[in-house]
Amino acid sequence: MIYGGIKAFNESQSEYRIDPRIVPGPQMDSELIKAIASGSVPDLVTLDNPVVASFSAQGTLTDLTERVGKSAVVKPDVYFKGPWASGLWKQRIFAVPRDANTLALCYNADMFKVKGLDPDKPPKTWTELLDAAKALKDPAKNVYGFGFSAVQAEEGVFQFLPFLHQAGGAVDKLDTPEATEALEFWAGMVKDGVASRDVINQRQYEVTNTFMAGNAAMVMCGPWELPRLQKEAKFEWRLALLPVKPGKDIAASALGGYDWVVPKGAKQADGAFRFIEFMSDPKILNEGWKTGRLAPRTDVTVTDPLWPQAYGIYRKQLESARARGPHPQWPEISRAIQIAMQEAVTGTKPAATALADAARKIKPILAKTPL
Amino acid sequence: MPGSPSALLYVFLALPILYLLGFVGFPIVYNLMMSVQEVNLGNITEFIRPFVGLDNYRTVIADESFQKVLVNTLLFVGCNVLAQVAIGLAVALFFAQDFPGAGFMRGLLLCSWMLPALVVGALWKWIFATEYGVANYVLSALHLIGSPIHWLSDPAVALTSVTLANIWFGMPFSMILIAAALTAIPKEHYEAASLDGAGSTARFWYITLPALKPALLAVACLVTIYTMRAFDLIFAMTQGGPLDASNVLPLLSYQFSFKQFDFGTGSAMGSFAFLIVFGVALLYVRTLKQETAS
Repeated sequence: MIYGGIKAFNESQSEYRIDPRIVPGPQMDSELIKAIASGSVPDLVTLDNPVVASFSAQGTLTDLTERVGKSAVVKPDVYFKGPWASGLWKQRIFAVPRDANTLALCYNADMFKVKGLDPDKPPKTWTELLDAAKALKDPAKNVYGFGFSAVQAEEGVFQFLPFLHQAGGAVDKLDTPEATEALEFWAGMVKDGVASRDVINQRQYEVTNTFMAGNAAMVMCGPWELPRLQKEAKFEWRLALLPVKPGKDIAASALGGYDWVVPKGAKQADGAFRFIEFMSDPKILNEGWKTGRLAPRTDVTVTDPLWPQAYGIYRKQLESARARGPHPQWPEISRAIQIAMQEAVTGTKPAATALADAARKIKPILAKTPL
Repeated sequence: MPGSPSALLYVFLALPILYLLGFVGFPIVYNLMMSVQEVNLGNITEFIRPFVGLDNYRTVIADESFQKVLVNTLLFVGCNVLAQVAIGLAVALFFAQDFPGAGFMRGLLLCSWMLPALVVGALWKWIFATEYGVANYVLSALHLIGSPIHWLSDPAVALTSVTLANIWFGMPFSMILIAAALTAIPKEHYEAASLDGAGSTARFWYITLPALKPALLAVACLVTIYTMRAFDLIFAMTQGGPLDASNVLPLLSYQFSFKQFDFGTGSAMGSFAFLIVFGVALLYVRTLKQETAS
């Protein structure tokens, strides 16, 4: 989507030319900080959406409010609420969503059949998820029922938040029974051997690796993994909406994705915005699905999509996906949650204590700037 | 120095001094400066930032993860130095024996050191995977362990695992330096000792080890400095987790600066790491001086 877009943009006009530079995801923030610190910033950057507020609140990004106001393409009301909110700070617009993603449940239909489960009826509730995971696990063959990422990084929080929200909990209310139930559900699966203890150290792509290798029967999985699944998984895989907590029935997932931002001091801010508009065109956004990216706009429907079953699920799941933040100190909040997650999953502390500690760390941050 | 110093001499002196000031002095001073300021994304381009005195240092010392990580770092570096020097010495001695392919195999061993640390980290993460990792497979096949070890997911084991990986990664470098020092020991000493009836143990204690002492000290200091900088290997293996169990100072400092955008605290942590390395460097220079004096 990006390469095609850049090529098409460069060919469509002669005023501006995009020269792309690839920066690996984990290094993105530090590269941008270096650019800001040295005063020579690129004209356009894509940033992981939970960190955008950290940059915009500190005044390092160009305010795009006026440009968006005049734009015929980038219209705030056609965007999904979550992605659009990630670019806002104090009612000003600092970012335009480039794409969106979310998590859903990916399961191995072949294993369902072998274990006598109906692959047409994937688990719909936490109870069903746990029952299915127990039935699917097979220690003799190194197969775990369920897999997720509880790594000490933003990715781990991204995977935990759906459970927190499904239980009726919230980031600003971690010292509640709801939050405890969510974390206990996670930690319990590791304790019972339904999920591997290695989840504590697995990044999301590694969770997918265990799924593709047949070491996990069900995993939390984002649409960006679809091209890889398509190529490498030697079994029938399917997707399902994330199960909900019985009695609560709150559909929730996490919202991920990248935003376009123009750093302050960019020499070609107008050209950058032209490209943002070009890339926000539904026709271009339509192409994104081929690489597992959902459009952040409600007015884009991919007709005849690749992996139609997965597309339907992710598109539906996106409606209940919640943004992380936006908060300028989201990384600090996230770190407190990461530590609580790891304490509970390793059994270092009971979930309730771990979460109470996290809430204590988060409280002063939220007192200064509420979520 | 004979003759009077010419102008050209000062030029040659000025070049390295300017280089050191610019590329070594400035970053150190700048880091110290940042560690007593409040630095965030908004003011990172400026030089004049709110002065906070030693607040960042107080925050760092009071931080639970810092206390844990400082101990981790000392353990990690200490074990690495001991093991890399000891194993490096043993392997160098082994390859100093005269057997076919000795030189070739010694060179081959260096391959692991030439790999990028991120690749080595990914490799070891694989080896140490609980379910499908080679480490657990081999150990259980040999009946050395009953249940699988959670190499990277058990907070009590993670530091040992990254230490083992780093020893494997760094040892060939120590080995090659020690091997070079070994070749500098004159063969006649050994011949004379053999004639006097010294066995292999005696030859090692009274000839090899004293002759190698300066080289071993130098290697120990270098390994200390290299492992104090360990970052990518641990980043690839555990990202410092679980619960900072395998975290070390440079990685924690990076996480504070570049993940939480708290540059002041990150710099204060950097200062601590610098102090340790600086201490080791001083020790190294002193030992070298004593060595030449005696």
